[in-house]
Amino acid sequence: MAHPTQLGFQDAASPVMEELLHFHDHALMIVFLISTLVLYIIIAMVSTKLTNKYILDSQEIEIVWTVLPAVILVLIALPSLRILYLMDEINDPHLTIKAMGHQWYWSYEYTDYEDLGFDSYMIPTQDLTPGQFRLLETDHRMVVPMESPVRVLVSAEDVLHSWAVPSLGVKMDAVPGRLNQTAFIASRPGVFYGQCSEICGANHSFMPIVVEAVPLEHFESWSSLMLEDA
Amino acid sequence: MTEEGGKSQVGTKVLGILDIQNTPCARESLLHGSGASLVAGLLHFLATSRVKRSFDVGVAGFMLTTLGSWFYCRYNNAKLRVQQRIIQDGMKNKVIYEGTNLDPTRKKTED
Repeated sequence: MAHPTQLGFQDAASPVMEELLHFHDHALMIVFLISTLVLYIIIAMVSTKLTNKYILDSQEIEIVWTVLPAVILVLIALPSLRILYLMDEINDPHLTIKAMGHQWYWSYEYTDYEDLGFDSYMIPTQDLTPGQFRLLETDHRMVVPMESPVRVLVSAEDVLHSWAVPSLGVKMDAVPGRLNQTAFIASRPGVFYGQCSEICGANHSFMPIVVEAVPLEHFESWSSLMLEDA
Repeated sequence: MTEEGGKSQVGTKVLGILDIQNTPCARESLLHGSGASLVAGLLHFLATSRVKRSFDVGVAGFMLTTLGSWFYCRYNNAKLRVQQRIIQDGMKNKVIYEGTNLDPTRKKTED
């Protein structure tokens, strides 16, 4: 989860998010250099005593400030498109989960083998135990096996919602009557938090998402336990 | 190994945006760029005694060297990461398939 006053991305928990982080660093360095150049030009313009009232044209500088931005854009576009196509690669998911958005909670259905479904409500602040995170914890987490491709089918029962987990690099709109698909691989075990990312009413800020990635054996025991309790 | 650890410390943000402590290759690129900027600007000034133009040369040297060092370092970093991933997958496959027909290190015997 994000720490207080955090501005940057959370640590990546999936290969796609790692790539996005690296691309972000790359784009940011280019932005930093352009900002430095612009700052220097502003200072130079403000501090010069020279004035030239007779410039009509200058072919060289026009070529420079046309070609250079084009080159910069290509340098940004190439890795960007690489990641875009990487995200769309056909993968063979080991597990499919349906995430349904409601006002104001998420429900998850694991229907690959047995019919397992449960709701995931936010734990109210007064019911938190020490060490739990305010407005982020839920009573039931979406448990997934780690290092396995997982497909998530996202939809909604009432209004627009959005299923987002920043550390997994996943965000997908939940549209009533429409099934959207996204996929991720949790590279490491852990608990990953997200929040509804589409305004959906009074409690839009109070329907978080918690994904818990565990080893396969633990996932199997968890799913057996959940089926028994159902 | 790629130097991508140490994310827990709060980084220093240059110009308010670039976190040089937690971004791989950022610190080295900026240092290379700053060094080249000083050298280029100083050499130009010694050669021409033009202050403003030397500053311009210094800034141009800073940008080109930072960019060049950045791309070189990131390229090597990316190659290392790919190699790391291949090694990790190889180790995982070795552990999973050792002793079975699918063991990648097992010599194929002709029957």
